[in-house]
Amino acid sequence: MTSVRAQSLEREGSVGDRPVMTLIDVEKHFPIKDGVLQKVVGHVKAVDGVSLEIRRGETLGLVGESGCGKTTLGRCISGITAPTGGGIYFRLSDVDRAALEDILATPGKERTPEQRKRMERIESRHLITALTGDAWRAYRRNCQVVFQDAFSSLNPRQLVKDIVGRPLRIHKEASGAELTERVVSLLESVGMGRQHLFRYPHQFSGGQRQRISIARALALDPEFIVLDEPTSALDVSVQAQILNLLHELQRDRGLTYLFISHDLGVVKLMSDRIAVMYLGEVVEQGTATELFERPRHPYTEALLAANPDLDADVDKEIEGLEGTVPDPANPPEGCRFHTRCPVATPICGWEVDDAVTWLSVETNLLDAMTAVERRSNFDATLAFADDGSAEAVGKAMTAGSVPPAMAPALESVSVDGSKVLLRFLPVPPVELEEVEPGHVTSCVLHTSRRREL
Amino acid sequence: MADVAQPRTVIPPATGALTVRLRRLGEVTVQTLRNPVTVIGLVIIVLMFAMALLAPVLTTPNEPNPYQMPRDWTALNEPPGTPGHPLGTTAHGGDVLYGVIWGSRTSLWLSLIVVAVTVTIGTVVGSLAGFIGGKVDEILMRVVDVFLAIPELIFALAIAAVLGPSFSNIILALAIVYWVKYARIIRGQIIHVKQNEYVDSARVIGDTKFRIYLKDVLPNSITPVMVQATMDMGAIVLVGATLSFIGLSEAGLAEWGVLVSEGQVGISTGRWWASTFPGLMIFLWALAFNLVGDGLRDVLDPRTESR
Repeated sequence: MTSVRAQSLEREGSVGDRPVMTLIDVEKHFPIKDGVLQKVVGHVKAVDGVSLEIRRGETLGLVGESGCGKTTLGRCISGITAPTGGGIYFRLSDVDRAALEDILATPGKERTPEQRKRMERIESRHLITALTGDAWRAYRRNCQVVFQDAFSSLNPRQLVKDIVGRPLRIHKEASGAELTERVVSLLESVGMGRQHLFRYPHQFSGGQRQRISIARALALDPEFIVLDEPTSALDVSVQAQILNLLHELQRDRGLTYLFISHDLGVVKLMSDRIAVMYLGEVVEQGTATELFERPRHPYTEALLAANPDLDADVDKEIEGLEGTVPDPANPPEGCRFHTRCPVATPICGWEVDDAVTWLSVETNLLDAMTAVERRSNFDATLAFADDGSAEAVGKAMTAGSVPPAMAPALESVSVDGSKVLLRFLPVPPVELEEVEPGHVTSCVLHTSRRREL
Repeated sequence: MADVAQPRTVIPPATGALTVRLRRLGEVTVQTLRNPVTVIGLVIIVLMFAMALLAPVLTTPNEPNPYQMPRDWTALNEPPGTPGHPLGTTAHGGDVLYGVIWGSRTSLWLSLIVVAVTVTIGTVVGSLAGFIGGKVDEILMRVVDVFLAIPELIFALAIAAVLGPSFSNIILALAIVYWVKYARIIRGQIIHVKQNEYVDSARVIGDTKFRIYLKDVLPNSITPVMVQATMDMGAIVLVGATLSFIGLSEAGLAEWGVLVSEGQVGISTGRWWASTFPGLMIFLWALAFNLVGDGLRDVLDPRTESR
């Protein structure tokens, strides 16, 4: 019991005074294997260079469409899967963070022995994939998860008492009658009780199962909980109850949340700060009020517009996003959102794929295409079956019907017999930039690259 | 909080884990017994087991080895109803009733040993492949594929033939052939069960891989194995009898397949009893376990299990 008290003592202080989780350039790439020999032919970049900080006592909302990598990121943070690049640090102090970023900015070979030593020390104490012994146990106790699907997150063959008491048993905190009492008080803290101890998960409703999941997550008195769409599988009325419960628990226990959801309304209700993810990257991040009132990224705006509002005029058509999410194995150049962006500019990263997509949607000229020789995403040769088709494509690409944002980005189009040479102006990837205190975005309309326009 | 507490069916609150588990066992039993076909199978099995257990009481055990048919050279080819030989005798003076009764013992030994060995090996191999995955899975499953490429009966026949005719070699041959099926089943189940979020949440609370396997993965993967094992209790006796019939067992053994083989010469001349009674026993044995296996599948299959 002393350890629990020590933890809560340690936890006194004001909200946000120190980081609980620090993510630096986190990547999770899943290999795509093909053929008999299962050769790796590419990678699905589920999470592609995400840096975030979650500070004590706050709720960071993580939103995005399905498939944007938000759940994968949650799984990395909670230690279920290891990231393939970058680092996730637990309780990294601001001083250590500054030192670490300094070291990471130095190329590996140029680092001094002191720097290496410092880095090693920081990693062994804070990098979640490098933790061992007591440090690892502390991380494991303090970082818990509540999953979306309460049907599959409870073992159907275990009784509630065993499910909720299991963390206590593993960490040797309680056994026998004491364990039962601890489980009862955990159940009571989520609005359930002693009468539920000896039941199987299938005997409960969805909302009750989610409460059991929460009780299990609370068992070790953690500091931080990843809430992976905890309410999206529930009825609306039950949703509100669970959200209220989570709120109360946060207030009473000083919990820190990472709240993952695709439901902006719920995220707004729960979060202090919000990070918006698109195709494996964070595109905008800011306080909840800032983000909702002054979004600085067209993707966020589109999400807000697509969120049906009960107060809104019924006759007003909901503006949704057009097109589909691009393939995360081959994400677009520049700003990844430019393929669907309603306000895209010439410097957003136009590339050969965009031209090909446009041609295939707007014309039928690609039917005669036989091959694509790609020197880079900005520079390629399209080969056609006959000279006529090539000429037609060349004409189409220089005609006025080309999307106005794409046209200026087209450096050159030249027709050579049955081949068409397409060259776009190369642009660097977009970077997150602070546009207001605590509000970052990667959209070129708002960052310093605005000047290039 | 409206969604809290109200159980869907009113059952008195349970007071302990044991009570709940016993009650669950009771529910499953009642559910199983609700199917009349399963009950028929169970009755046959119980009678067969009783017969096997009571064999020394029902007949006078042959000395020195009761599993050898006693030979009464004074009563060859006697029809059923002959005093002292209620089910008649074979051409070699073997008492058909003795063979039928002690044959149930032989069959019980055969099926229990083979099932126990194959389920154990299959579960271990399948668990390693499914739970560890990767290269281990790749290698083990290719081995399994090789075994599966050969028809069961022919494979068992070949092994038994190579090892030489004896009853223990039949057991060995069947064990070699049958484990692959279980490895396949348990591997598939584990790969499926492993993806459940309760496995992830066990990792998040810091449990070890081995305990996750024992507490979360195996208990949720084992039911199809139990169903298959029940069915195989019947199938193995069938295949075992086939091997015995073609002479891969010991001559004169009190075993149904051997007995059928011994009596087959008489069928064309009207002496039907020596083959028919043991044949009927093989049929009933296989049928009973299949009926129970089917019933168990309906009750235990997670897909039909009430949520």
